[in-house]
Amino acid sequence: MEARNFTFMFYGFLAAWLIVLVYIVSLARRGARLTKELEDVKQLVASGQKS
Amino acid sequence: MSLFSQAFAVARKDLAVELRTKESLNAAGSFAIVILVIFSFAFDSFSDEMKEYGGGLLWLVFAFAGALVFNRGFARELPNECLDTLLASPLSGAALVIGKAFANFTMLLVVELVSLVVFGIFYNVDWLGQAGWLGAVFALATWGVSILGAVFGALTVNLRLRELMLPVVIYPLMIPILIAAIELTNIVLTRRSISEDMQWVKVLVASDIGFTGLAWLLADTILVS
Amino acid sequence: MREKLVVAFVALGAILLAYNLYQIFLVLPDEAAQGYIYRIIYFHVPAAMVAMLGFFAALVCSVWYLAGGDLRFDSFAASIVEVSVVFATVNLVTGSIWARVEWGIWWTWDYRLTSQLVCVLIFAGYLIMRRAIDEPTQRARLSAALTIFGCFDAVIVWKSIEWFRNNHPGPVLSFRTGGEQRMDPAMEHQLFLNALALLIMAVALTLVRARQESTAREIDSLRRAAHV
Repeated sequence: MEARNFTFMFYGFLAAWLIVLVYIVSLARRGARLTKELEDVKQLVASGQKS
Repeated sequence: MSLFSQAFAVARKDLAVELRTKESLNAAGSFAIVILVIFSFAFDSFSDEMKEYGGGLLWLVFAFAGALVFNRGFARELPNECLDTLLASPLSGAALVIGKAFANFTMLLVVELVSLVVFGIFYNVDWLGQAGWLGAVFALATWGVSILGAVFGALTVNLRLRELMLPVVIYPLMIPILIAAIELTNIVLTRRSISEDMQWVKVLVASDIGFTGLAWLLADTILVS
Repeated sequence: MREKLVVAFVALGAILLAYNLYQIFLVLPDEAAQGYIYRIIYFHVPAAMVAMLGFFAALVCSVWYLAGGDLRFDSFAASIVEVSVVFATVNLVTGSIWARVEWGIWWTWDYRLTSQLVCVLIFAGYLIMRRAIDEPTQRARLSAALTIFGCFDAVIVWKSIEWFRNNHPGPVLSFRTGGEQRMDPAMEHQLFLNALALLIMAVALTLVRARQESTAREIDSLRRAAHV
């Protein structure tokens, strides 16, 4: 019973941390994508102004 | 013109258009009947227990049919820039939303009546003796979902995925109203006394007053096109 | 400046979390009836607290947006909602696992679980809907309306089912029981400490997300200006 409780508790903590970790990773990826897009658009605008 | 007379004018216009074309009523009505038929295969429709589950079944049908009605509510104003004209008119935003809600309410009540008749026949449930109580429960709950349908119908009318977004947004909001309506309908159908479970009536009344109040307060702010 | 703030919050949160984990696993004793599994309460309840605080904060931001029209409040509200949905999901999942051990079932339609699930559904719908709208002002208006109606709705769900279905454990924290000490003070103290740690983590995540929203707005305005 104790061992089973311990296993489930481990799963519980794992689940909690996994959800938060997945969110942090998705946040990081979205941030990188947005930064790249911003650079691209800035370059596009700059090249457009030059021409 | 007062808020009520403005709202009534909007509702009367919508219902007049609907009576002429019957597009929402036909679609929602036939959809409701089809769902009732399909569900009859899911359950043993002639058992006495149908009275216990009747509320759930009916309100699921009304929720799905309601989405069809609410979608058309503001969408019918899109052609010929009727929506822009309505918004530019002296009509207050609150009157527009409440008027649309009243039109939704009336149309949905008609669909509910038809569904109730079909339900009584297909599932062998005698509800005529409780018609008064059922009417009261249906009126309270239908108003709640109608005002939600009107507010979010107005907000989603210009979205490209309107038919998808409106249900996604309003079904979770409808949950308390649906739960209360289902419980009360089951109580009435099984001929129990509502006075033992008054909290559901309180939920419906609170939802109706709350959602209508919020709609009235926010309509002008959120209805800028 | 904001980057430094985020780093400060993350560092503070990490230190507090490390201390809390040490306390939770190594110092505090087992609970009398439940044994080891009860330790999940130190994440289960704080996650719910942070989520509910978040939804309320989003409500305030939404009202502020409607009052002033400043899109930054809309961005902030959206960021808070997203982070709160994550914490509400943590609450539901940890509760479900705990329930499986304690009661033998993964789920029950008790008022707290149902209210939290309805909240998650409403605000997940909010996030889905935001992705479908490109025009910023329209998106902001719809989001604000949904937050206001959603929060009112969540309160109604909470109250309505509380009268009806009540098999979730009742309040044990002393501020809910009116001073009566149902939970050991050391445990209660640790729970609030972990709530603080999670709150700091939530604030850091919200700041990062809000920064991303303003970057997205910058991209949007650059595109519009250049007709790209």
